[in-house]
Amino acid sequence: MKVEEELFAPGLEDLFENAPCGYLSTAPDGTILKVNRTFEQWTGYDRRQLVGRKRFAELLTPGGRMYHETHYAPLLQMQGEAREIALELVGADGSRLPALVTSVVVADGEGKPQVIRTTVFDASERRRYEEELLQTREREREIARQLQRSMLAGELPAAPGLQVGASYRPADNALEVGGDWYDAFWLGEERLGMVVGDVVGKGIGAAATMGQLRSAVRALASTGLRPGPLLEALDDYTHRHGVGATTTVVYAQLDLASRELRFACAGHLPPILVEPESGPHLSWEGRSTPLGLRIPGPRPESACVLPTGSLFLLYTDGLVERRTQPIDSGLERLQAEVAERREEPPPALAPNLLRALGTGEHGDDACVLALSLG
Amino acid sequence: MTVSVRNNVSEHGPREAQPILFAHGFGCDQNMWRFVWPRFEADYRVVLFDHVGAGGSDLSAYDPERYSSLQGYAEDVLELCRELDLRDVVFVGHSVSAMVGVLAATAEPDRFARLVLVGPSPRYIDDDGYVGGFSREDIEGLLESMESNYLGWSSQMAPVIMGNPDRPELGEELINSFCRTDPEIANRFARVTFLSDNREDLGRVKTPSLVLQCSEDAIAPEEVGRFVEREMPAARLVMLDAVGHCPNLSAPEATADAIEEFLRG
Repeated sequence: MKVEEELFAPGLEDLFENAPCGYLSTAPDGTILKVNRTFEQWTGYDRRQLVGRKRFAELLTPGGRMYHETHYAPLLQMQGEAREIALELVGADGSRLPALVTSVVVADGEGKPQVIRTTVFDASERRRYEEELLQTREREREIARQLQRSMLAGELPAAPGLQVGASYRPADNALEVGGDWYDAFWLGEERLGMVVGDVVGKGIGAAATMGQLRSAVRALASTGLRPGPLLEALDDYTHRHGVGATTTVVYAQLDLASRELRFACAGHLPPILVEPESGPHLSWEGRSTPLGLRIPGPRPESACVLPTGSLFLLYTDGLVERRTQPIDSGLERLQAEVAERREEPPPALAPNLLRALGTGEHGDDACVLALSLG
Repeated sequence: MTVSVRNNVSEHGPREAQPILFAHGFGCDQNMWRFVWPRFEADYRVVLFDHVGAGGSDLSAYDPERYSSLQGYAEDVLELCRELDLRDVVFVGHSVSAMVGVLAATAEPDRFARLVLVGPSPRYIDDDGYVGGFSREDIEGLLESMESNYLGWSSQMAPVIMGNPDRPELGEELINSFCRTDPEIANRFARVTFLSDNREDLGRVKTPSLVLQCSEDAIAPEEVGRFVEREMPAARLVMLDAVGHCPNLSAPEATADAIEEFLRG
């Protein structure tokens, strides 16, 4: 067929009726005025059942009709068109046709809407593909979640007079796992290592980084390194393997015989120490830059002896940060909450603090690790 | 952050006049009132705003806990009234915001002179002896529709929209932008909207109220409007000859006429 024939011979009628898309015109209130043959074939309706008898929205699923009323129709009225909206048409036999729908309003000289013209494209294939993509995304999230859970699980150390509790809360709204982790483990019979860290980023990548750093800390700690030198070794690890730069982490060691607690903080929020005779206070000692950002010189560490009845707390910023408030007020809230709950044993205290503080807003996860020494 | 910034407040008309506060419903933003409010700017202090999570509001102020019930939205309205020192308020609420107005007027009855409830529904899901018009499956269907339509919202666009609060025109150029929302927030707002039950609250409102009912509304059918009128001690229903759930867009003149007449009476 020549180009001229395609343009003129079939006639406009044929171009309209047999267009490769459904085509319909409606009144401003949605009443169907005209449909083409393709639309009839796709929906299984005869035009006599539609024209003047049904509104476009009546051909949608109930959920789609709600969407039409709350989004589609308002958009059309506000901007004169609505593009590429995914809806499902319900055919005469009840079958569903996933469709992409675009409408434009035709107005008279004074801007008053006269007619709405709508095209309907079959989107069955596309919808199937989109569903597969969504499932894949969900699977990946689940893998990351499992990965993270497996790293946070496990039994926490306990001994006469010693109690350790930990709790993790994923971010609210979280599409992906966050990068917070905690860990506590024995180093020989009388010594204990504790870590809380926050890896930059989210998702599988962050979970994998977290796993590497967690193993590295455990391995380095077992060689007997003290907190300061351990963080330096972790710096080297970060450089050598190109993982975990700018992670913030705090590492602490407790010797049960001497009751000596030593800790070092790489860019992380300060631990909270509660001694029996005083209220909670932030330990701003033993601080240095986040991992991989080391300035020359050794990383400092802090040491103290825990009196009977002490409580020691590590946590991440998700516990104290809110976008609309300065972090100082979050730290104050945390201290007040700890003071209030000072008598709670760590296994109860950790989850209670998470519940009481922070909302998990803006995709930030949070964790708490608490230790008490009687 | 001020409430005015948080809720993207815009004002028109004389400051000293009686305030008329327009609250948009689920789905879009304050633009829903664009054909109605100009009628009132000569005689009223017109105040428009976006609910947190919608339109030009500050998305970082979205707190899932606060907004897990309509009470949080009502508290926002009261905070806004306090900040702008609005008294003797005419509250005009569309769709879900009709119930937000009911809750606000119950909490601080002295602050509100009149309520206008456009297409109100105290409960969307059918219950024993009550027809709301929907089932739980229908609501799930809506959530699915929303999921396949992230209007003007993709991960590429989100930073542009969120990162330029001082340059709203960047966002405005996007098609479908009047109804764009963060998908997570929209999902939550839909659940709060369509799963709420405020039937018990209606009887507590002493404020003279107008129920504006569209003759054919697929979201809030006439019998629901009649229920609201019956349950509220000082409400009367006016029928608008309009199809759909948004007479503020499809029949703005009739809507403004009815509000004017109610305020004169």
